[in-house]
Amino acid sequence: MVESKEMLKYVPTTCPYCGVGCGLNLVVNDGKLVGVEPYKRSPINEGKLCPKGETCWEFVQSPDRLTKPLIKKDGKFVEASWEEALDLIVKKFKETSDKFGPKSLGFQSSCRTVNEDCYALQKWARCGFLTNNVDNCARICHGPSVAGLSLSFGSGAATNPFEDVLNSDLIVMWGSNAVEAHPLAGRRVMQAKKKGIKVIVVDPRLSATARIADEWIQFNPSTHIALANSMMYWIIKEGLEDKEFIEKRTKGFEDLKKTVEKYADVESIHGVPLEKVKDFARQYAKAKNAVIIYCLGITELTTGTDNVRSMGNLSMLTGNIGRPGTGVNPLRGQNNVQGACDMGAYPNVFSGYQAVALPANREKMEKLWFLKEGSLPDWYGVTLTEQINQCGDPIKAMYFMGLNPVVSYPDSNHVKRSLDKLDFCVVQDIFWNESCEYADVVLPGTCFAEKDGTFTSGERRVNRVRKAVDGPGESKYDWEIITLLAKKMGLKGFDWKSAKDVWDDMRACTPGQFGVTYEKIEKPEAIHWPCPTIEHPGTPILHKEKFSAADGLGTFFGLEYRPPAEVADKEYPYTLMTGRVIFHYHTRTQTDRCKVLHYEVPESFIQMNTKDAAELGIKNLEKIKVRSRRGETITIARVSNDVAPKVLYMPMHFAEGANNLTNTALDPLSKMPELKHCAVAVEKIAEGK
Amino acid sequence: MAKKGDMLYAWTNDAEIKKKAELGGAVTSLWKYALESKLVDAVLVITKGVDLYDAKPVIITDPAKLKDTAGSLHCGTLLLPKLVKKYLNGAFDKKIGVTVKGCDMMAFYELAKRKQINLDNIIMIGVNCGGSVSPVMARKMITDKFGVDPETVHKEEIDKGQFIIEYEGGHKGISMDELEEAGYGRRSNCRRCKLKVPRQADLACGNWGVIGDKAGKATFVEVCSEKGASLLNGAVKSGILATEAANPKGLEIRGKVEGAMLKLGDKWRKKDFERLGEGKERLKKIMAETARCIKCYGCIDQCPICYCVDCTTKNPAYVPPGYLPVNFMFHLIRYAHIADSCVNCGQCEEVCPAEIPNALFMHAQQVELEKMFGHVPGVNMELPLLALVEEKEERSRLHNTGSDMIYENVFNPVPK
Repeated sequence: MVESKEMLKYVPTTCPYCGVGCGLNLVVNDGKLVGVEPYKRSPINEGKLCPKGETCWEFVQSPDRLTKPLIKKDGKFVEASWEEALDLIVKKFKETSDKFGPKSLGFQSSCRTVNEDCYALQKWARCGFLTNNVDNCARICHGPSVAGLSLSFGSGAATNPFEDVLNSDLIVMWGSNAVEAHPLAGRRVMQAKKKGIKVIVVDPRLSATARIADEWIQFNPSTHIALANSMMYWIIKEGLEDKEFIEKRTKGFEDLKKTVEKYADVESIHGVPLEKVKDFARQYAKAKNAVIIYCLGITELTTGTDNVRSMGNLSMLTGNIGRPGTGVNPLRGQNNVQGACDMGAYPNVFSGYQAVALPANREKMEKLWFLKEGSLPDWYGVTLTEQINQCGDPIKAMYFMGLNPVVSYPDSNHVKRSLDKLDFCVVQDIFWNESCEYADVVLPGTCFAEKDGTFTSGERRVNRVRKAVDGPGESKYDWEIITLLAKKMGLKGFDWKSAKDVWDDMRACTPGQFGVTYEKIEKPEAIHWPCPTIEHPGTPILHKEKFSAADGLGTFFGLEYRPPAEVADKEYPYTLMTGRVIFHYHTRTQTDRCKVLHYEVPESFIQMNTKDAAELGIKNLEKIKVRSRRGETITIARVSNDVAPKVLYMPMHFAEGANNLTNTALDPLSKMPELKHCAVAVEKIAEGK
Repeated sequence: MAKKGDMLYAWTNDAEIKKKAELGGAVTSLWKYALESKLVDAVLVITKGVDLYDAKPVIITDPAKLKDTAGSLHCGTLLLPKLVKKYLNGAFDKKIGVTVKGCDMMAFYELAKRKQINLDNIIMIGVNCGGSVSPVMARKMITDKFGVDPETVHKEEIDKGQFIIEYEGGHKGISMDELEEAGYGRRSNCRRCKLKVPRQADLACGNWGVIGDKAGKATFVEVCSEKGASLLNGAVKSGILATEAANPKGLEIRGKVEGAMLKLGDKWRKKDFERLGEGKERLKKIMAETARCIKCYGCIDQCPICYCVDCTTKNPAYVPPGYLPVNFMFHLIRYAHIADSCVNCGQCEEVCPAEIPNALFMHAQQVELEKMFGHVPGVNMELPLLALVEEKEERSRLHNTGSDMIYENVFNPVPK
């Protein structure tokens, strides 16, 4: 129990929203959360916060938090004891596993919750059911980053810290609206600009980030590879490539060179005037130190992994990697999207990206986890959205920890139909969400303010999360729930008393994070992994002397431009892009419970070009209907020239919104669905209706 | 018996406090006495968080715990009065003793004018402040300019125009001028500050002017109010504190130090304000910088002038909700509501995630308004020059009272 009575108690912790990992103080009066105050000591954000961070305490004590386990009986949820709920879960999961085998189960971990929870869930899945069917929602944001950067550089993480942009000479923001989606990383770019560092934003939309740029390069949605290849053609053509770097540190250059030869002028694809492409290419190649920051504009497409590798190609071609002020940095979406992957809540790796396919890794884990020799599976587990596709056959039972798939996964109707096919489904969360309807058991977890633990930010920095107040009602720590389930099954290796115990369990089997102890991350400087030993200071910049791949080399890939899976046609003549607004986070279960955030954006909207609006007779702020092959939604038109004609942009936060329309087509390499591109039709709603 | 206006040296007689305290431990002793004698229910002071760069506020009710809070932290840039308003019910239900810097003191007056804090329940012990350095900046400065690992520093101070550190293996001082020329040093609002000795607190304490055998062993105390005199006299009477009259030479030195600091403040004002330009040019600069605003509302949240439950920036008729870039009206509203009362505490700038020099803009306007109308914010209970009123409501209210003193009673209901 948190000691009460104390007034004005400051608890320094880490913001629960995006992957920047800002520090903030939770203020506690007499055991109650009463506010957020700046934590100026944090080197990440120096006390500065975005609208979400400022208000992140407000949802914690909402009266509608889940406080008791709920079991669905005769179609209705009734309150149950922990004992009853956990017994039922163990019984059902065991029955399913015994009858249908390890591939009949699916486990999904949130990227919003602490590392300790993620590690616990995947350990339980692997130890208890010998399955690799465990994944996390990085799959639908930066799965392509993990896949692409691993292929290019040997490590799937950001190469340089956020603040490092201040050491750059040119900052390229490609498909990243950091000012809204990662505001305190956006602040670093603002700082850099004030310092005189040039900022180029590459985006189909005049975003808040594009507005602060020195140069905005508007291109056609989803044509990244064509644009990058064309740039590389001109860099090679004009002899601006870094020959020494290519020679000494990379392989595959000839493959790249051959491919880009076809891309001298592809303005017809990407829409950027040739001279502008050349100029951009020269600027990037000639800058002493240039950094690429990218985000979901790159990843959430069926070419996601190739787009990421194209960024890798650009950086290696010009030697812009492995030094301060350079690099290729994905801005990770969620507070712990890096961590959830690091923890092994992933279908093909244990914690620290130790491949399950390698016998030595399985052998090691079997020993550390008290398992029978040869028991851990070597197969590639089923990924997040594929688990949804497999609902009913062969997946019969699923466990969701801190996820709301009905709203946040592509094609909501498909998700609902799929979940209906399950025999048994558990949702563990802090609020009742849209997906709970499809569960058989709903368990009350605890939120960031109610538990100890760690979040690993997008710069691989392991930040401490500290408990400020007790969770509501009978809620439990999420890792604690997993422990109880594991113990009921008689599993060994789950005797954790605290979050630190879970963390130390993880450290013991994760070489790259062995040196990241709670003691070492007590101060807000924390530690960037890799950090293999207790003495090791951590690694802010990757790939300095050599790349992380086994041979130490970076790899070029010749990649061809491929159009999106669904493009605008006569029937659905508009291209719909999706994204975020600064005032909300994901499905708004938290942000919409904060007064000012709800005030700012209470419902979904769509950005539309003035020309299109005029053609359709749509006025600014008019309600319109948007349809795709998969569904339809009614939303408010925001008419401006921030998007090009025939291009629309819609935030993804609303249940009645973008994901009624989005496409489920997958990137073949990373299984990322094409959330950023689909074809839609727009209709004026007939008057009087 | 000390009385208002007295200048004294004071030091502790408490063995425990003596062990830890700097400069004779007078402030800690005064608070100990205030708590033990129930003059106050609680004391609000700054204490070290994770290290000496991390200042955090703490409420103390147990006098035995006071000794842990002794000493100053120049990397502490907190503003305490807004915390009293937000989290301690504005001191309406308990008596609180607070150690204040100049900006804290001014903010107390401004919040009290707006009925957000009950000043009757507050005792302020002021401490001289030559400015503070934001914690992350301090660590950078120590790394870059001092060539020292900030983790090894165990003491820092600002003295005789220098920033001085003691660390494992030595001590080092560099002149503030040099540091600030190089882009390090104090917060920009601190550089422009001209309230170095908080004389509108109940007692104004510091080390300036402590000379002779008392140098480093006593605190200079200027008695600024009856409340302050009675606190001091009580502490002396209880035996925890000893005093003697300040050395006249010391008094002179104190004046000189203050004078030098004020001159420096003038220099920075000139520099900062001139860089802003005038008229349209200034407006253009302000518009360009504020265009980056991401509407975190942090400036409003931290501002000691802002207190409205229904803030006008959240009136959709003025500032359309849900858009970036934010309509410039957002900032105009802030200037209109605050500029006459801005105490240049710097919080709005320090917490701004868009690197907007908010404090500079607001302070520049306050200085102009002060020149025009002579209203000085933060030093007494005089009501501000301008105040926002809902026009219709205010006209009808005035009509009913028969008074046309529109500004007089904005914060005070008109008596029947």
